[in-house]
Amino acid sequence: MPLRNVPIRRKLMLIALLTTAGTLLIAGAALILFNVLRFKEEMVADLTSLADVVARNSTAVLSFGDPGSAADTLRSLSARKPIVAAALYDKNGKLFARYRQGAEVKFPARPGNAGSASIPGGLVVFHPVMLKGARIGTVYLRSDLSELTARIRVQALAVGAVFLISGLAAVFLSSGLQRLVSEPVLDLSQTAKAVSEKQDYSLRAEKRGNDELGQLVDTFNQMLGQIQQRDSALQEAKEELEQRVDERTRELARRNEELHQSNKELDDFAYIASHDLKEPLRGIHNFSNFLLEDYADKLDDDGRSKLETLMRLTRRMETLIDSLLQFSRLGRVDLAMDRVDLNAIVAEALESLAITLQEEKVEIRLPRPLPTVRADRVRVGEIFANLIVNAVKYNDKPQKWIEIGALQNGSQAGGKAPVFYVRDNGIGIPEKHYDAVFRIFKRLHSRDKFGGGTGAGLTIVKKIVERHQGRIWLESTPGEGTTFYFTLQEET
Amino acid sequence: MALLRVSRKALPLFIAACWLGGFGLPGMARAQGAVSEYDVKAAFLFNFTKFVEWPPAAFADEHSLLKICVLGEDPFGKPLRELATGEVGGRRLTLKYLENLSHLESCHVLFVCRSERDRLPRILVDLHTAPVLTVGDTPGFTDQGGMINFILEGTKVRFDVNQEAAERAGLKISSRLLALAKHVKGRP
Repeated sequence: MPLRNVPIRRKLMLIALLTTAGTLLIAGAALILFNVLRFKEEMVADLTSLADVVARNSTAVLSFGDPGSAADTLRSLSARKPIVAAALYDKNGKLFARYRQGAEVKFPARPGNAGSASIPGGLVVFHPVMLKGARIGTVYLRSDLSELTARIRVQALAVGAVFLISGLAAVFLSSGLQRLVSEPVLDLSQTAKAVSEKQDYSLRAEKRGNDELGQLVDTFNQMLGQIQQRDSALQEAKEELEQRVDERTRELARRNEELHQSNKELDDFAYIASHDLKEPLRGIHNFSNFLLEDYADKLDDDGRSKLETLMRLTRRMETLIDSLLQFSRLGRVDLAMDRVDLNAIVAEALESLAITLQEEKVEIRLPRPLPTVRADRVRVGEIFANLIVNAVKYNDKPQKWIEIGALQNGSQAGGKAPVFYVRDNGIGIPEKHYDAVFRIFKRLHSRDKFGGGTGAGLTIVKKIVERHQGRIWLESTPGEGTTFYFTLQEET
Repeated sequence: MALLRVSRKALPLFIAACWLGGFGLPGMARAQGAVSEYDVKAAFLFNFTKFVEWPPAAFADEHSLLKICVLGEDPFGKPLRELATGEVGGRRLTLKYLENLSHLESCHVLFVCRSERDRLPRILVDLHTAPVLTVGDTPGFTDQGGMINFILEGTKVRFDVNQEAAERAGLKISSRLLALAKHVKGRP
C-alpha cells in the first residue's frame, strides 16, 4: 500500500517512529564513530608508550648484539593480547629480533618512519630506540583491532537497546498523542460522510480545540449551515412550486371542462338551431313555389322575378344550414378510426370530382405514393375533396395544376407526424387572410365570383383535422399559388 | 650520536658487533667471517661506556672528555681508534695507550690487556676504589677484582660482570647490561 493511502493514524505514528529512529540512528552512529576515533587515539597512545618501554629495554641487547635476549624481551609482550607482532630493527634497519602471535603475520623488511599508522585490521607503530642521544634501532609493534571491535560491538548493542526501547516508547507515546490530530480529522471525515450519505445537513462536526483543525471544523460547520439554509429554501420553493402547479392544473382542468361543456352546448345549439330552421325555410320555399306556379299569370315580370330571387335565396339559405349542420355534426359524432390507405382516398376524391376537373382541364400531380395512416376514412376523404375543390375553384390560370403529396421526412413542423399537402397554382391568399380563410361562412370574394360556395369548406376541413389531433396551416404567394399543409395525428 | 659518527671504514666492525652470536640470518655468516674477535670486543668496549654511570667527581666538568685507556700490548688496533673518535652522552672520547701504571686513576675505562696478566693484582690494588671501569680479557679477571671480563662462548663474545667491584668504585652498571652478562658477581 503506498504511503499516501495509509490511514492518518498510522501516518502520524510512522512520522513519530521514523523521526525517533532517524535521530537515534544519527546520534548512535555519531557516538560510535566518536568513540571509535577516541579509542583509536588511545590505542595509538598505548601502543606508542608500550613501544617506548620496549625500546628502553632493548638498548643493551641492540648494543651488544644479543638477539636471544631481545626475543625474550619481545616475548614478554605475549601478555598483551592485542599485540600480534613485535620486532626490533638495528641501527641499519635490519630485522634484529621478532615475536609474533600466530604465523601469518609478515614483518616489514625495513622499519618505517617513526609514528603510528593504520593498516587493514590493525595498527602499527615504529618507535626509535635511543641510547645516549643516539638512535640505535627501531621497535615495531603491531596491534590488531580486537579490542576496538569488541568495544564497537558493546556500543552497538547499547545503541541497539536504546533504539529498541525508544522505538517502543515512541510507538506507545505516539499511539496516544496522534489522537490529538487524527481524531478531529476522523471525526470531520465521518461527519462529512454521514452528511453526504444521509443528505442530512443538520449534522455538525465536534470541535475539540482552537487550532487549525478547530478552525477547519468551524468552517465546515458554517458551510453545512449555509447548505442547510439553501436546502430548506430550495425545499420550500419546490413545495410552493408543486402547490402552484397543482393549483394551475386543477384550474386548467376546470377550464377545460367548462370549455368542453360550452363547446358541446354550442354544437348542440348549432345543430338544434339549424335543424329547426330548416322546416320553416322549406315552408317558405314551398309556398314561394306554389305562388309562382299557381299565380304566374296574375303576376307581372317584375313580380315573378322577385319570387324567383326569393326562391334562390331560400335555396342558398338551405345550403348554408346544411353546411352548418354538417359542421356541428362533426363535433358530435365519434370518428371511426381505421388504417386508411391515403392513395385510395385521394383516388376516390379525384373520381368524384372527375367532371369538374375535366371541364377545368386541371392537371393532377402525384409525385410519390402516400402512406397508410390511422384515420376516419370518410372524413379524410372530405379533407382532400374540399381542398381539391378549393384549389380548382380559386384558379384563374389557363394551365391549372394541383399537386397532392406528403413531405418526405414529415418534419416541416419538426414533429414526426407525416405532413400532407395540397398545392395549386391558383390566385393565392394574402398573408393577412391566412386565419380568416378557416372561419365559417367567411368568403374573401363576392358570392358570385369563383363559382360561389358557402364558405364552410375550409372550416370543415380544419375541424376534421383537429378531431384527428392534427394541425392545418398554409403557405401562399398571391398570384402564384397556395399550399395547404396538414397532419392527421398529434405532433410530439 | 656517537655511533652515527663512526666512519664508513668501521662499518664492518659494527655489523659484527651487532650480529655476532649466531643470529640466524643468511647474510650473517659472511659478515661474521669478515670480522675478528677483537673487532667485536672493541665495539663492546665502546658500548660499555653507554651503560655505565660514573660519579660526578670522576669528571672535572660536564664537558670533560671520557678517557678510554688501553694498558699493555694493544690487541684492537685501528678499529678502536676509529670508534674512539666519537662521543657518548655529550662527552667526547679520547683514547690513551699506557705503558706503565702511572695515572691509571685518570682513566674512565681501563682495558687491561693479556700482556699485563702478571701485573693485574697490583693494578687493581692501585686503583682500589677509584671510579675507573676496569675491563679485562683474562680468565679470572673478575674474581681478582676486575669489573668486566670478556669471555668466549664458542665463537661468540660474551662477558662477566663483577657488580661488587663496580659498586665499590661508585660506578653504576645498567641493569640492561647486567641482563646480558653471562655471570654477575655480587648479584643478590
